[in-house]
Amino acid sequence: MSLSDFTDLRLADLDRDGALREAADNLERTSRAGFFAAAAGGMAAAVALGRPQAAGAALAKSDVAILNYALTLEYLQDAFYTEAQRKGALSGAAARLARVVGAVERAHVKALRDTLGKQAVKRPFFDFRGVTEAPERFTRTAVAFEDLGTAAYKGQAHRIKSPQVLAAAVAIHSVEARHAAWIRYIAGVLPAVEPFDEPKSAKETLQLVRTTRFVVGRPRTRSRRRPRFTG
Amino acid sequence: MRERVSVRVPDPAGAVRAAASDDEPTTRERFLRRAIVAGGVLATGGVIIAGLPRLAVSAQSPEQDAEIFNFALLLEFTQAALYAETVERAELTGELFEFAKVVANHERAHVDFLLEALGDQAREEPVTDFGNATSDPDAFGAAAVALEDVAVAAYNGQAANLTKGALRAAATIISVHARHAAWVRSIIGQPPAADAVDAPLTAEETTARLDETGFVQEEQR
Amino acid sequence: MTRRGRRLSLLSAAVAAVAAGVSLVALAAGGGRGSVAPVAGAGPAAGGPTLAPPAEPALDVPQPEPLRTSRFDSTWAAVKSAAPVRAAARTGAEIISRLGPRTPEGTTNIVLALDRVEDAEGSLWIKVRVPALPENVAGWVPRWALGGYGVVRTRLVVDLSDRRLTLFRSGEAVFRAPVGIGTAQFPTPTGDFYVRNKLSRYRNAFYGPLAFGTSARSTTLTDWPAGGFVGIHGTNQPGLIPGRVSHGCVRLRNEAIVRLARLLPIGTPLRVRA
Repeated sequence: MSLSDFTDLRLADLDRDGALREAADNLERTSRAGFFAAAAGGMAAAVALGRPQAAGAALAKSDVAILNYALTLEYLQDAFYTEAQRKGALSGAAARLARVVGAVERAHVKALRDTLGKQAVKRPFFDFRGVTEAPERFTRTAVAFEDLGTAAYKGQAHRIKSPQVLAAAVAIHSVEARHAAWIRYIAGVLPAVEPFDEPKSAKETLQLVRTTRFVVGRPRTRSRRRPRFTG
Repeated sequence: MRERVSVRVPDPAGAVRAAASDDEPTTRERFLRRAIVAGGVLATGGVIIAGLPRLAVSAQSPEQDAEIFNFALLLEFTQAALYAETVERAELTGELFEFAKVVANHERAHVDFLLEALGDQAREEPVTDFGNATSDPDAFGAAAVALEDVAVAAYNGQAANLTKGALRAAATIISVHARHAAWVRSIIGQPPAADAVDAPLTAEETTARLDETGFVQEEQR
Repeated sequence: MTRRGRRLSLLSAAVAAVAAGVSLVALAAGGGRGSVAPVAGAGPAAGGPTLAPPAEPALDVPQPEPLRTSRFDSTWAAVKSAAPVRAAARTGAEIISRLGPRTPEGTTNIVLALDRVEDAEGSLWIKVRVPALPENVAGWVPRWALGGYGVVRTRLVVDLSDRRLTLFRSGEAVFRAPVGIGTAQFPTPTGDFYVRNKLSRYRNAFYGPLAFGTSARSTTLTDWPAGGFVGIHGTNQPGLIPGRVSHGCVRLRNEAIVRLARLLPIGTPLRVRA
């Protein structure tokens, strides 16, 4: 995905809410910690989660970070398709895809939040700047999102420690690939170009998401100022 | 009648390749360099003790990778044969034929990769019989869906059993099968991606599904 | 023998072979290059490999469900940059109001997003409800002036003759309270407005523990500092409620507004009925 593909977007500073930064930092931190811990023969500190895992075991911190990274991307996709459906600017195959894929991404979000419990990152606030309200921009962006989601899951698979988390991740990864092919078909481009799909690192993925500037700070609608209403 | 929005969409896959990445660019090359087969060590010299069931998640090893990849190779061989024969017969037309041509190349590449990874431990190519699935659009569509879906489920089922290097390589293949499945479903008018997860299959279930197609003679499995 | 029959006989032979301690692997390797032909005692799933089953996934993914939208849904938008509000969705149309990115309280300004249209050049315009005198008006702003959207299912209704405030969620009443409203001289304006911010932790007992700012404006106190906006807030004179006692604001007893605050999201539409 090259930046010229998003002609109306510009390189931006980091997301104000820090949601992306947090996801990236956690991944980086736990991957380094995990590496050192593994090298020292120890195990990364386990974190108790909202949902009991196989045999009630807690998950490694790095797995939690990976799940939160996945959740961030799922939040993004959920919000994108849900808003597109609400706005009602799509029709035909694209509208149908937004309905079906939106429902799937919402289910992914729910599953990740349930498993992560209190450890789940918060839902960011999004400004899609009209992309969800214009059919051609929607389709272009959906292609990029689904290809990116597939590459992102793929980039993490080998880093997952728990076989159960890995089982969950691969089961979602291939679904994202189906979405990618579907939206590409609608867009009139080849659904599968290469015989092998390449992974994307978390760093690259989150950087790409940052350049869209879709993740923004939540509007500050609270204040401590003294009211000056009419009374 | 399929609907399309006419847009110019750049090829993210190509851009993905072109873009700088933290990770080593080709996971398969790294995997091949390390060669899962060294000096003929493989399942025949393996450590399986007769009568003992395997653990739910077995210890990863290059030998097990080979076993899994040989199993996958059976599926890839079958797919490659379906598409190659379809292209050769040239009786399909339109989108389905375009699909077959593109995907034939993909599957051939998958076979080639697994052959290279397995070296002389690679299984033989099975003898296949596709009946009218390589010439009749409905039969072809059903065959493609069945084989692509079973490949996704089979690989997914073995993901936790692969070594990390093999998993990285396999992951680059799994999603392509999933794309193929959604693509052909789009062409034939089926919902391209109805489920939230792709459930895995055990090796036995995969074999049973393959048997159901009747494309591969049992002796070849 | 049929295919199925052959498979079954192989299976029973396999069971016997396992019991006899024959290596499963050598059997499973039947069909590999350079190996012996499969023996009659081939392994389970006759000839297929004996690979470990998949792990149980750590995520419990529910069935996908359609989006539940309802006619009680309402959308607000953050204001990103100052822009004129026009009577029609085209540059050059009459300007009927102006949008700024901040409220007088310093919070991010928000507006209700009512409709959407593309102009002749393909630019997106959003119809918004803005605070203007004598009553909130609806006009068009370019999409770029707005930020992200939020959706609420709630609606607030203030009935002036009943002196009552009701909060509805998805059409169902979830909160009711008596209110103090504007006097005859300084009446609470009627019409369609919305809740746009929440103030708290200020120290002013006159307004109680917290206050909501709305887009409604007094039609009589037009010179009031900070625009003469109507708020919904607590009070240090609960005995006056219900009653026509204020300069336009909607006053609740303090325990009531604290309860309301747990249920009322910013962006909720507000209707004031006579």
